[in-house]
Amino acid sequence: MIQTTKLPPSKHEFAEIIHRLEAGGAMLPDTPENLMQIIGIYKAYAVPMDFYWRDLLYIAERVFLNPLPFFKYFLPNSYLDLHNHYAGDDADLRVWRGEATAHPELLEFIEKGESGKKSKLLHHLWHDRINMEFAEACMRAMFWHRGMGGKFDPYLDTPEYKAAADKAIKAYFQGNPVMLGLYKLFPEMFIEQVRQLSYYSNLGLFWEVMAAVFFEMFDLYNEGKLTSVPEAMNFIVNGIFAVADRPIYHHVYIRGELYEIIPKSCGFTWLFEAALPYVEAVFYRTAPFRGTKSYNAQAKQVPENQKDFHYGILYADVFPVGNAGIPPTLLMQDMLHFLPSFLVDYYKQYCRGEDDMLIQLGITFQRSMYCVTSAVIQALRQATLYPLDDSDPEHLKANREFFETQLDRFKRPEARLRNIQSQDYR
Amino acid sequence: MLSVLIIIPILGAILVGFFPGNIPAEKLRKVTLAIAVSLIVWTVEIALKFDLNNPHWQFQEIFAWIPQLGLTYNLGVDGLSLPLLALNSLLTFIVVYGYGNNVERPKLYYSLILLVNAGVAGAFLSANLLLFVLFYELELIPIYLLIAIWGSEKRGYAATKFLIYTAVSGILILAGFLGITWLSNSPSFDYNLISTQSLPLITKLILLTILLVGFGIKIPLVPLHTWLPDAYVESSPPVTILLGGILAKLGTYGLLRFCLGLFPGTWEIVAPGMAIIGTISVLYGALAAIAQQDIKRMVAYSSIGHMGYIIVAAAANTPLSLVGAISQMVAHGLILAILFHLVGVVETKVGTRELSVLNGLMSPVRGLPFTSALLIMGGMASAGIPGMVGFAAEFIVFQGSFSKFPIPTLLCIIASGLTAVYFVILLNRTCFGKLDNNTAYYPKVIWSERAPALVLAVAIFFLGIQPIWLVRWSEETSNFLVLKSQIEIQSISQYLK
Repeated sequence: MIQTTKLPPSKHEFAEIIHRLEAGGAMLPDTPENLMQIIGIYKAYAVPMDFYWRDLLYIAERVFLNPLPFFKYFLPNSYLDLHNHYAGDDADLRVWRGEATAHPELLEFIEKGESGKKSKLLHHLWHDRINMEFAEACMRAMFWHRGMGGKFDPYLDTPEYKAAADKAIKAYFQGNPVMLGLYKLFPEMFIEQVRQLSYYSNLGLFWEVMAAVFFEMFDLYNEGKLTSVPEAMNFIVNGIFAVADRPIYHHVYIRGELYEIIPKSCGFTWLFEAALPYVEAVFYRTAPFRGTKSYNAQAKQVPENQKDFHYGILYADVFPVGNAGIPPTLLMQDMLHFLPSFLVDYYKQYCRGEDDMLIQLGITFQRSMYCVTSAVIQALRQATLYPLDDSDPEHLKANREFFETQLDRFKRPEARLRNIQSQDYR
Repeated sequence: MLSVLIIIPILGAILVGFFPGNIPAEKLRKVTLAIAVSLIVWTVEIALKFDLNNPHWQFQEIFAWIPQLGLTYNLGVDGLSLPLLALNSLLTFIVVYGYGNNVERPKLYYSLILLVNAGVAGAFLSANLLLFVLFYELELIPIYLLIAIWGSEKRGYAATKFLIYTAVSGILILAGFLGITWLSNSPSFDYNLISTQSLPLITKLILLTILLVGFGIKIPLVPLHTWLPDAYVESSPPVTILLGGILAKLGTYGLLRFCLGLFPGTWEIVAPGMAIIGTISVLYGALAAIAQQDIKRMVAYSSIGHMGYIIVAAAANTPLSLVGAISQMVAHGLILAILFHLVGVVETKVGTRELSVLNGLMSPVRGLPFTSALLIMGGMASAGIPGMVGFAAEFIVFQGSFSKFPIPTLLCIIASGLTAVYFVILLNRTCFGKLDNNTAYYPKVIWSERAPALVLAVAIFFLGIQPIWLVRWSEETSNFLVLKSQIEIQSISQYLK
């Protein structure tokens, strides 16, 4: 552990948490209970995420501009068998030691669901399925919260991008005079759709990494190799740096031919073009829940500036999960199918036991995302500032200022940082 | 046949109360439940054999008990008492089923509940005035104990207040009955043998006023109502259900049976005043409920308001309005029971009844969604939303009384709008909004706690959609009561000429 006495104590509201971060810890207190919860939920999150990233890429690459994409959530086997680049024997960079194809629990769920074996269509109509709408909502949050840094988003407005999109659109609607005529009349309408599809690809590529990271963390925990919250956080930090410059691109396959809308050669990288915008858009900002805020312009409940949005998972009120108008419910329902048994046993002991597991796991998820955000903050500090054991007090001071500005964002009353410090928040 | 309804609960009370040894509450509950079920079965049996075309006493049982006093054991049932008997059996069952698995002193508790049932059933069945007073007083002591032992903080005050008010009510009723019988030189206290026709008008008015005050306390009418909010609020939920659901009906029952039934002509003279007092009750109950900050107190004041409709209907004294009055008694009994039950569930789970603290109970995972949904339904039923029993009863009342008392009726309709106002306030603060994350770790509601409300909800909906099952019992009796008063009015006017 690093000595923290080199600097006088912080006067920040969250001084205790800042000292913990300076000592190499996470925003989440380091208790075995917390570790058990966050690792358990990483696994429950990774299985639907394994579906999300595959389907996001499928939509971006194959469904593309289909005007009536009725079956966009019906993942073909080729995408279930698609090899994750960070798992399996042929991985570019092996993060998870498991299989590169879809996770067995996911395959089992697709086949049987909760209601038993039936056709995919019936599962879908019976709503016995993965709530892919949640992944799309995250994608749309990234798409809409533009200007969060990075070069990916400005690139979508460049002539190169438009030219590539134009080529793909014309190829896709080849022999379809109606759509081609529409494209002629309203070209921006189609270009904008392609931009959205580029974000599908972006998020899909982001989650391809995270799924592998979370699976590996679960395995390490079970092997007894992850024993504390800082270790878990550091695993994510190391993962972030390992995959930081993996490419972000958008490829489309039309009639067997590859169209590179955003080629890998553009040099967009995972950390700056996917991970950081994702954290900003989904963990911090997203959009106000329809069920908790009024969009009435006179009521002024929703801020005017997008940078002031604070409706992400770090701020979300999880208690109304299950209500109408609370989007995270979709994710909580997805995770509910894949909880490890130790987490189910844990939830049974508290509150309403199995009856309110949806909310208990939601709060665990919130804790775990504070751990991920801690990893992101530490990674940013490591990338832009100084090591924690730096001997120069000026450098340590710069680090502290960085941490303090980061934690300023949690001063809002809605922020759940205070709540997750205590185990009583369930 | 009718005695069974009195003997079973009394024997049951003795059996449960003096059960040797230490019996766990759960076992006693099962025994009491079996007794309550047998009462329901017996009530259904009576209803099946009941002759709908006969307005008079049916299944009469008479034997001389203390002839020197004129006290005969004279039971009978007619269209006025049958629906209330059924309500009594149902609510007793619900109270026993829904509560008391871990009550303190279970023997005494169940024994008293059965005694209340016996007292109420006896009063509804009595065709002898002294016998009625006997049962009327019999129900007083167990209820006093039920409030005083199992009530909440201020139970002592509330119980004593209830006891004094109801005892005064009993004394007035007894005085009225003695006066009627002795002054009219009736051979006994038997209901059918008494005729007040020969009495001078001024005597009849005095006797009627005594009875009106006596029953008015029990109903309660507005200036005499102050025992009610305390007694209802300080009682435990099952006792509140019995108090509001069925005991208050003794007052309105007495009003129809004895005030209207024994003074059919004189009633016409006091009727305008009664209509006004009833209307004041309705308006006062609604306005007072709007001002409350405690949900149980709101429901208690709503009870005062809803009993007022019965007074207006009884005052109008048309065949339709009397059917409406009886229907409203049953409707109010069911609705008040479900509301008090649900308020009780909210209080035990959330730990408060304050409007300013309650919030977001509709939340499906962490809140009390089922309870809230039924609470909304109960509030709507109470406010007179069509499709539920409250509307059916209130509409018959309004329809029946408008021709006689148009302005009081219109004021009552306005007040039923105010009912909607305070129920919307209650539902908005309680069910809507969001849960408080620091406190919202409420225990879940188990099925046995939901079941009573579910049974009542089914009854409320069924009678709201098929109101014929509500009114068919009392049509003939109502017609007969109106006919009787018309005949006497004619004779009065002849006499005045």
